This record gives sequence, structure tokens and C-alpha cells, in this order.
Amino acid sequence: MSFLAPLFFVALAGLAIPVLLHLTQKEKKEVVLFPSLMFVRKIPYQASRRRRIQHWFLLLLRLAALALIILAFARPLLDRADVPASLGQGAREVVVLIDTSYSMGYGPRWSAAVDAARNVVSGLGASDRASIVTFGSGTEILLRSTAEHSALNGAIAAAKPGASATRYSPALKVAGSILAESQLPRREVVLISDFQRSGWRGQEGTSLPAGATLSAVPIQGAANRPNLSVTAVSLQRSRFANQERVTVTAGITNRSETAVTNQPVTLEAGGLQVATKTFNVEGGASTSVSFDPVTIGGRNYKGTVRLGEDALVADNAFNFVVSPSEPVHVVLVDRGGGGSGLYVAQALAIGDSPKFDTVTRQPENLTDEDLRKTSLVVLNDVPVGSPLGRRLLKFVEGGGGLFVSAGSRASWPRDVDLLPATIGNPVDRSRGETARVGGIEFAHPVFEAFRAPRSGDFASVRVYGYRNLGPATGAQVLARFDAGAPAVVERRVGAGRVLLWASSFDQSWTDLPIRSVFLPFVHRAATHLVAYVPSQPWATVGQILDTSRAGAHKGQSVPTLVLTPSGTRLPVSGDGTEVIELAEQGFYELRGDSNSAGEMAVVASNVDPAEADLTAMDPQDIVAASTGESQSDGAQPAAAPQTPETRERSQRLWWYLLCLGAALLAAETVVSNRLKA
Amino acid sequence: MSTETHEIPGARFMDPKVLARIGNLELVSKAVVDGFINGLHKAPYFGASVDFAEHRGYVPGDDIRRMDWRVWARTDRYYIKEYEAESNMNFNVLLDVSKSMDYGGKGIKKIDYARIIAACLTSLVSHQRDRVGMAAFDSDIVEYVPPSAKHMETVLHVLDRLKPGRPGSLKEPLHKLAEHYGRRGILVLISDFYEDPETVVEAVKPLRFRGNDIMVFHILDQDEIEFGFSDASPFEDLETGEQVPVVPDSLRKEYRAMVQAHIEALTQSFSKVGVDYALFDTSQPLDFVLFKYLAARSRRLKRR
Repeated sequence: MSFLAPLFFVALAGLAIPVLLHLTQKEKKEVVLFPSLMFVRKIPYQASRRRRIQHWFLLLLRLAALALIILAFARPLLDRADVPASLGQGAREVVVLIDTSYSMGYGPRWSAAVDAARNVVSGLGASDRASIVTFGSGTEILLRSTAEHSALNGAIAAAKPGASATRYSPALKVAGSILAESQLPRREVVLISDFQRSGWRGQEGTSLPAGATLSAVPIQGAANRPNLSVTAVSLQRSRFANQERVTVTAGITNRSETAVTNQPVTLEAGGLQVATKTFNVEGGASTSVSFDPVTIGGRNYKGTVRLGEDALVADNAFNFVVSPSEPVHVVLVDRGGGGSGLYVAQALAIGDSPKFDTVTRQPENLTDEDLRKTSLVVLNDVPVGSPLGRRLLKFVEGGGGLFVSAGSRASWPRDVDLLPATIGNPVDRSRGETARVGGIEFAHPVFEAFRAPRSGDFASVRVYGYRNLGPATGAQVLARFDAGAPAVVERRVGAGRVLLWASSFDQSWTDLPIRSVFLPFVHRAATHLVAYVPSQPWATVGQILDTSRAGAHKGQSVPTLVLTPSGTRLPVSGDGTEVIELAEQGFYELRGDSNSAGEMAVVASNVDPAEADLTAMDPQDIVAASTGESQSDGAQPAAAPQTPETRERSQRLWWYLLCLGAALLAAETVVSNRLKA
Repeated sequence: MSTETHEIPGARFMDPKVLARIGNLELVSKAVVDGFINGLHKAPYFGASVDFAEHRGYVPGDDIRRMDWRVWARTDRYYIKEYEAESNMNFNVLLDVSKSMDYGGKGIKKIDYARIIAACLTSLVSHQRDRVGMAAFDSDIVEYVPPSAKHMETVLHVLDRLKPGRPGSLKEPLHKLAEHYGRRGILVLISDFYEDPETVVEAVKPLRFRGNDIMVFHILDQDEIEFGFSDASPFEDLETGEQVPVVPDSLRKEYRAMVQAHIEALTQSFSKVGVDYALFDTSQPLDFVLFKYLAARSRRLKRR
């Protein structure tokens, strides 16, 4: 046993005071003059009783209480070997959390982290158990609750920094669950990290089990080289000589304090280095570099912006994938001649994302070939017979979209259950007050864009006539007229969707086509009906890759495997739906069976640029949030779990001694009161 | 104040502490005695010198001025008129001025109390035209004033300047004084009697041989009776200077018992030898002491 504050033992000398008082206290010095001691002298002398200790038990009680309190102030701690035997606290369950985010690759940090983890392992007692858990944005338990040092050291050696960002909260939750399952009496978490501010978002509901302690081991260390990172890339498409080209502009941030000059940055496209540029950037500043336009060589055209070597390599490359833009094919079914389809056709002709390729057909001229090629059919106030209705039903069930405008001429066969509502009698609102559109479901994707104020006002649209709609079972009314009649109704049929507008797309019944909300309404309805998802040129490590969506191109077969940047082949289940977390930086390739040529889809994966910001936080924030109390910040990483202060704090012998001392004092009060009585 | 004092009609009792502050013994005694006499409607003029006692036959040598000529005229025989000799008796105060009398716990000192008693009695008796004298003693005779009808002021003066200083004893000075009081009279002995009851009685006895009436006033402080000390302290004997560590709580009970036994023994011993004994503690009013004296005097006269 040793003591953190042995100087307090000087106070033990104070214990002699009550004893001396007991032994040496004499009668008062003030002499009482008395006429005659004739009688007093005859009485046997009893003053000496004062000098004897009358209540030994009381004295011992007081001395013991004082000694215990002094002992508590001296902050005793038991040596590690003594702990289980003398105190009965037992073995420890230690969870070593090692930060493997890519920022740990900065300078000498990773080797320092490994050393700190090994020190923790070497400090374990024979009966202690430990778990090795690595974490970035996700968490991986490398080794769970074992007492074998060799296995623990092996797990530490196998760990290495990944490409993910730092997230403390999931790691602490995993550590908490491991500790909660443990039967050992003392539970500790050792968090080895560079404690980036970006990894902690304050109180995240992470609290360790009661009694568990968290020791933070901050890994610091600066590199003598600057740290540059490519934070973003913007892609500007253009057409030249009937070919689509893309202009790449890279955003570069200098994370270090020193300025860099003439630093090269290269653009790789299609696996080839196509351009190199140099740039200058001040310390802590950002700049952008634009490359000459590159012709997109085909689908899933891979590109990478790459910087030279620096202190932190992981953030030096930025990957992206571009494909030639593919228009959405739309068939506008219109009676023609009257120009009633003009407004819809013009609205769809505008815009690049996506680009709509619209063809106009008369109802009787709509062929199966048209329906095979197209993704969306727009019925602009046309009567539909049963044959066409059945064909359209088949088309929608196969995943197509149908947008119906119910004007004065529209009709639908009763035997085909496709529309979201039956089209009833026309309602004339040209006299008196015109009908207005209200009761809009802004939560629906079609109207979501109009939710915010000044984002388009449907209430200003005037409707002079509309058809009474009787919504079918399973249909959703997205908007109503002011009288309560449905205005826009949607229904899912098979894999496709049908949207019905109760009025016309021209100005015969409404002024909607000349209102500002018309264009976004038509665009959003069209993209919603065809389930258009804009292609993302890149994703971030830690995001989820849904293979069914990534390879969901019409007419393609389902992917069967995913090839990771490191070359690992991840098989995909039979229906092509697999959820894969992006863990590496580079290109994930989704491949079909041997019959399909090349990759079906490519996903570029980049590191989280926020992780490149190495600004550190105070580890005490995490300690306090997790354990509810401020603990050691482990200023000495290697020795942090072993310092006498840490051991003393975990043993808390002073607490027991103080309680015992207080209990003795209380007992002393009771005993002395009894004796007095 | 005891219930006994209330039975005295018209008595006006004065707190000794108040009287002690007056300082002038004459004034004090006058205040006490006047009040006392006013309180007694029938002031008994004891020892009045005009009281006729008897006739006896003339013998040669008798003062012819005391010849009763009227009897000679009727009977032609010489008779001498005899009067009550006690009508002008001697009154002496024997005051103990040993060091132990110089004690006053919370109130008046014993010596001052005794001083005032002596002064009051002297004053009272002097009013009755008796002869007054006094003697002060410790281990020896300190002051002596022979009894005389004109000595009241001298007695008061001597009483006033008495200061206790030496240890006291009763036997030797009282034996010496016994020789001075040849003529019968009243002796009032005031002391704290810190000696064995037998020794005390032995010392007092010689005073009685000449037919003196002796009244013993035992003066004690409240502390001496009750021993109401609380803190353990060294106690110093006023006379010997000896110090004894004392824990009052532990010996109070025994002390009180011993004091009571001492008083009891004195009472019985004095009673046996026909001496009037009275115990006073210094908190008692002085009028009460005078009443005691007069009551005793009355009894004595009745006995004759």
C-alpha cells in the first residue's frame, strides 16, 4: 500500500492531543480562598481521579475516527497485486477503443496509438480481461473479452487506419455493451484517439454502465510536412461536336499553417493521367484548380483528382464517376391540332436534369414500341378505349409512369382499373367565383418543393372547370379544390404510378399553364412518376451502397457481385439487393453475371473531408458525457492507466475510510451521550 | 428570609449587604436598633435602676446614704434599701477576628456581619443604659474595651477599625478574658468556631464560672454551609495558607454532612453547659439576630 499525500500523516501527531489532555489536565489554576479546610482535609482526597482515563472505549473510538480520517486524506492506494486480495475489488474488464479513422495516419500518430494500446495490454493483471475495438464512422470488435495478451497484441498489430471519419458515439455504445455483459467487478474503457472535434457532436446519449470509468489517451503529434486535401470537385457538363464533355474544378484546402507553392495536382480520367496543373495556397487557406474539359468516354467514366505526397495521404485523392446524360423518354398522347399539348411539351423540353425527350402521338397511333421505349406517358385530355387502357395498364404495371389530364374530352373505360379515380361529370366554375387549388399534401414529393413560403403559390391558380373525381381504393388525394373535390390524385399500380389532374393542361379550363408553378409541377410530377434518381458522381466512405438502386437501370440485369477498391469480391444475393457500407476509398464496381459486359455501375468513394480538419477537442467532454464525471485526461498516454492517481481514483479507498471515520464519530456521539446520561 | 422572621410584629429587616455599604457603624446600629425598638411597642427596659428589691438591717460599714429614714422614723430601726443590681449590667461582646472571619463568598464578609451585630447589640444595650464593653481576639486578645456606660462610642470605634489578620484559636484568649469579667453580665461570643466542639466548649466554660450569661453566635457564610462550588480547583486555607486540590462535586455531600454534624455537636454541647447557641449565615437580616438576642435575654430574666 502506498499513499498519494503522505504528508497528511503529520496530522497523526495531533492524535496525542486528546490523550495528553486526558492525562495532564489539572485543576484550574485559580485558587479558591476558603475560611478553613478543617472539614475538607478530613475527606479522602479524590482529585487524582481526573488524571486517570475513565472511558478507555470512548477515547479509543475518538482516536480511531481521527486516524481513519487522516488516513483518508493521505489518499491510500493498494498496489495492483494487492487489490484483489485485500480489497476484493477483483479483476478488470477493459475495452480498448482504438481510433482507426484516416486522420490517425497523420504523421507519427498511428505508431503512438499502437504503443498506447500495447501499454494498456501490458498493464493488465492475470485475471483482467480486455477487448480490442477499432472505430471510425463504424465500429469493429477485433477481439472480445480475452485475457490472452498475445491475442490482444496480435489484434492491435492487425489494426490499421482506414478511410472513414471519426465518430465516438457508436464506439462508446459498443464499449458500453461489452462492459454491460461483463461479470467482472471493475470496468474500464480506454479511448485512444486524436480526439478530433469533428467526431463529437456533444451529448449523444452515450453513457457507460454505472461504475465504469473512461480513460482518454489523446494521441497528438505534428508532422513537419504540410497537409493538403481535395475537399470537393465540381463537374460542369457541356456539349462539343455532338459529344458530351465535362469540366472538372477541384477545391483544395491547405490544412497546415505553412504556405505551399507550385504544388502539382493531376486529373486522371478513364485510368489515364490527362492533365497536371500547379497551384499556390497560403496556410489555412483554400483554392480551386480548373482543368480543361474532358470528353466523357462512356458510361461510368472514372475520374480522380490527385495531389502529391504530404503528411496525410488519405485526403489527397478525390474520385468521381460521370456518365453521358441519358434523357427520360416521354410520350405525349394528344388529339393534336388544337395545341392543347403545347404547354406540357414545352415544359418538358426545358431542363437538363433530367432531360426529357418527348414524342407526341395520337391515341390511336400509340404503338407498343413507343410504350417499350418510354418511361412516361402523358394523356392530355384524350378519350381512352379499353384496348389502349389495357395496354397502358400493362405499361404501368411494368414500372412506367402515367400522367393523366382530365379535361372536357377525357374518358376512361370502366373495365380497366388503372386510374386513381373515376372521371365524373364536368363542373363549370366559369361563373361566379372560380375554383382554386388547396388542401395540398406538401409532404408528397410532387408538392414538397412548394412547401416553403414564396416557393410557388397554387392558390393563385384559377380553375374554371374540372371533372368530378371519385378516388379509387388505395389512391391518395394530393390536392383538392376549394369545394373539397379532388384535384390531384395518385395511385400506385404494380411497379408504376399514375397521377390524375382533374382539369386541363391548356387554358381552356384553367390558367395553370401560364402560372409560375406549372413548370416545376410538371417536372416534379414527371420525375416522380418515372422514379428518376439523379446519379451521384461520388459517395463518402461510411455511406451505404444499395446495389439494387445503384444498378437499377431499365433493362439491365441485377448485379451479382461488388468489386471493392482493394480488389475484394463481395457476392450479391440472388435478387440483386445487397447493402454494403463503403469502407474504402476508390471505385466500387457492381458487376453482373458473365453474360453482361463490363461493370453495370461504378460508385466513386471518397474520404470525409471534415476528417481532414485535425482540430482537437478536450477529451474531458467525452469523459464527462460518458461517465457523468470528469476523469483523467491521460496526459501521459503510455502510463495513463497505471499512474498512482488513476489507480487511487479507481480504488477510492479514501471514500470507505472517510465513511468509516464518520460512522465511528456518530457512534462516539451515541456512546458519550449514554455515558453522560 | 425564614418564616420565623415574619412572626415578629412590625419588624423591619434590613439586608446585611445594604447595611455593610453604609460604612458608619453608629449609623448602621442606629438604623437597625431604632427600627427594632419602634417595632416593639412595649420596649422592655431591662435593668432599670429604680427597681426596689428589699430592705435589710444596717450593719456597720454600709453607706448611710442608702439608709431608709422613713422606716427608721416608723420603727426606730436602721434599714438599708436594696435595689436590683442588674439594672445596670455589663454587656460584653467577644469578637473573633481570626483570618477565617475574613471570608465573604457572594455577599458580605463574616467579619463585617459580626461587626454589625456587635455594633447593633452594643447600641441596643446602651440605649437600655447598661454598661457596654468588648474584646476582640484571634489567637490572643487583640483589643479590649472594659465595660462602661460611656463606652458605646469607643466600642463602635474599635469595632470599626478591627481587621482580621492572624490565625485564631479560642482557648487561650477566652481563658485570659474570663479573668477580666469578674462581675456578672452578658457575654456575647461571636465566632465561626473552626475547632472541635469539645475544644470550643472547653474554651467557653471559664467565662461562665463567674455567673456570666453567655450567648454564642455562630457566624458562617452560605458557601461554608452549602459548599456550592462547581469547578475543581485548589482550595487555600485562609489561616494556614495550605492548599488542597478539591473536586467540589465529589465531596460536597460529605462536606455538608460534616458541617451539619459540627453544628449539631456545638448545639448540643452548648446546651449542656447552659449556653445559648445560635447559628447565623451572613445572608440573614440583622434584625433577626437582635430578636434572637432579646428573646434569649427575656428567657434569662424569667429564669431569675
